[in-house]
Amino acid sequence: MNARHSARIGRYLLTFALVVVAVAAIYPLLFTVVSSVKTQAGFADDPLGLPAGITLDNYLEAFRRMNMPRLLLNSLITTVGGLVLSVLAALLVAYAVTKLRFRGGKIVFLLIIVSLTIPSQAIIYPLYQTVLDLGMSGEYQGLILAYAAFGLPLGTYQLAGYFQQVPDELIEAARVDGAGHLTILFRLLAPIATPALAALAIFNFVWMWNDLLLPLVIMGGSDSKTLMVGVSLLSGQYDVSVPLVSAGLIVALLPVLIIYLVFQRQLVSGALAGSGK
Amino acid sequence: MTISTAPEPVAADAPPAPRRRRAHRPGQAREWWLGAALVLPALVLVVLFKLVPLVRGVLTSFEASSGFGGSEFAGADNYTRMLDDPMVRTSFRNALLVVATLPVWIVIPLVLALLIHQRSPGWKFFRAVYFVPYTIAPIVVGIMFRQILAPDGPLNALLRGVGLQPLAIEWLNGRYSALFSLVAVALWSFFGLGVMTYLAGLATIPEETLEAAYLDGAGFWRRLFSVVVPMLRPTVAYWSVLCASGVLIWLFPLIYALTQGGPGDATMLPEYLVFLTTFQFLDRGYGSAIGIALFVFVAVLSIFSVRHMFTEGTRKPR
Repeated sequence: MNARHSARIGRYLLTFALVVVAVAAIYPLLFTVVSSVKTQAGFADDPLGLPAGITLDNYLEAFRRMNMPRLLLNSLITTVGGLVLSVLAALLVAYAVTKLRFRGGKIVFLLIIVSLTIPSQAIIYPLYQTVLDLGMSGEYQGLILAYAAFGLPLGTYQLAGYFQQVPDELIEAARVDGAGHLTILFRLLAPIATPALAALAIFNFVWMWNDLLLPLVIMGGSDSKTLMVGVSLLSGQYDVSVPLVSAGLIVALLPVLIIYLVFQRQLVSGALAGSGK
Repeated sequence: MTISTAPEPVAADAPPAPRRRRAHRPGQAREWWLGAALVLPALVLVVLFKLVPLVRGVLTSFEASSGFGGSEFAGADNYTRMLDDPMVRTSFRNALLVVATLPVWIVIPLVLALLIHQRSPGWKFFRAVYFVPYTIAPIVVGIMFRQILAPDGPLNALLRGVGLQPLAIEWLNGRYSALFSLVAVALWSFFGLGVMTYLAGLATIPEETLEAAYLDGAGFWRRLFSVVVPMLRPTVAYWSVLCASGVLIWLFPLIYALTQGGPGDATMLPEYLVFLTTFQFLDRGYGSAIGIALFVFVAVLSIFSVRHMFTEGTRKPR
């Protein structure tokens, strides 16, 4: 049948399009992985080919040159710190705004949400000045607090939406049973909001870990600089080769890639809610 | 049944006053204080790290302050200077050029999402693969592509290999190819988020409607435009606004890694110009003025989604 034939051909073409885009999506990553396990001479001989022999020398050199353990530690401290602080603060606000008779709650909520319109790129210098005045420039707490401030609005929005759906009768029943507010929040509401909390935590981890501008400005070139700042500095050195830079890139992107593979659903749902960050 | 009591007799020398019931229950006041305590951490964070810098940015933008010296009040000089500055005009014009590529950003993820949603073979794999670029830090993406787009990099090698030698150019060093490359890399980095956004939008369309559209004998493209796209209009609008404002803030790490605003000013965009002016040229007042202009653009674009978030977050479930 002509109709069936053309329909089948159409389906093949559409699947082919999906495959082409998938190749385009993955090839740059594969090129970087393959380059990272080549020697400099091997790469120069055959930039596009598979490696003649796999070497880990580039990783060892990248680790040494970038002081990788220190960078990883810095990124871990600032990301986890910013993550925990922003989620905790968002939890408290969402509860106060949705479940307490707190006059002014809507205004506070509005203020926090509206601050989403303030991108770090636009206020980067006065933000740096503020952190400097607080005595936190080059310190973990400066970056942690900045991350928390920029991660907070999304969390507040998501958690308020979640708490909104919890019947007030449930809260009243818990109160009648003698539960205090913190018990209600952490024993009753937080467990119910686990899916939102998980998505929020993972999304915040990803953007904080991946961020360049805030750590670049707040940490500068200090010993506390983060992994992404370190990677950008590595690639700026004049005597580095493609394989060496590739190794640095792979180490930098691996933590988030692993998190994506393990928590794909939470990361995606967090990203969908948080794209406006 | 309530018991009413006669008012207490009042002293002859005082004007009569009705007894007033106590205004507030102690529990209510306590709950207000609790609420205030609970919002305090968030309020401190937002005020100290977002609002205070914004206000300081506005104040600094009215100062002439360069280098490491002090500053003096300069009125609107920084803003009038912006209007005459070729670099500022170029950066916003480049931003408009990038926004002009919006149709590509809207259509490509939409088509991919539709193909995935109708369960093309391997759809789960494609959905997972398309999101991978989004998980990679933009600075890493930028450095990765600087190597891929290098004159002797794999892209040019591929082009030469398939007989397209004339296209094997210095992508990052051409006046027009640099901006084109920047947009293409940004699209690579973020298209997966677009696919996911559309898939989420498609999930809100009743399954029967979609199935009817799929089973219809009409061709794929006709179904796409006559049935599904109209129902996705809110998602298209949301993603469009997101991309437009994203152009003004997402591209900083890519510019930093790929082109540093060059060649010349070919890829200068406002978010990079703020950084350059303030931290490399050390012109704080002028950098702050450009930053405030950038903030205004972003705020105008994103105020609609913020309004939606506020409405949704404070609406009582029905």
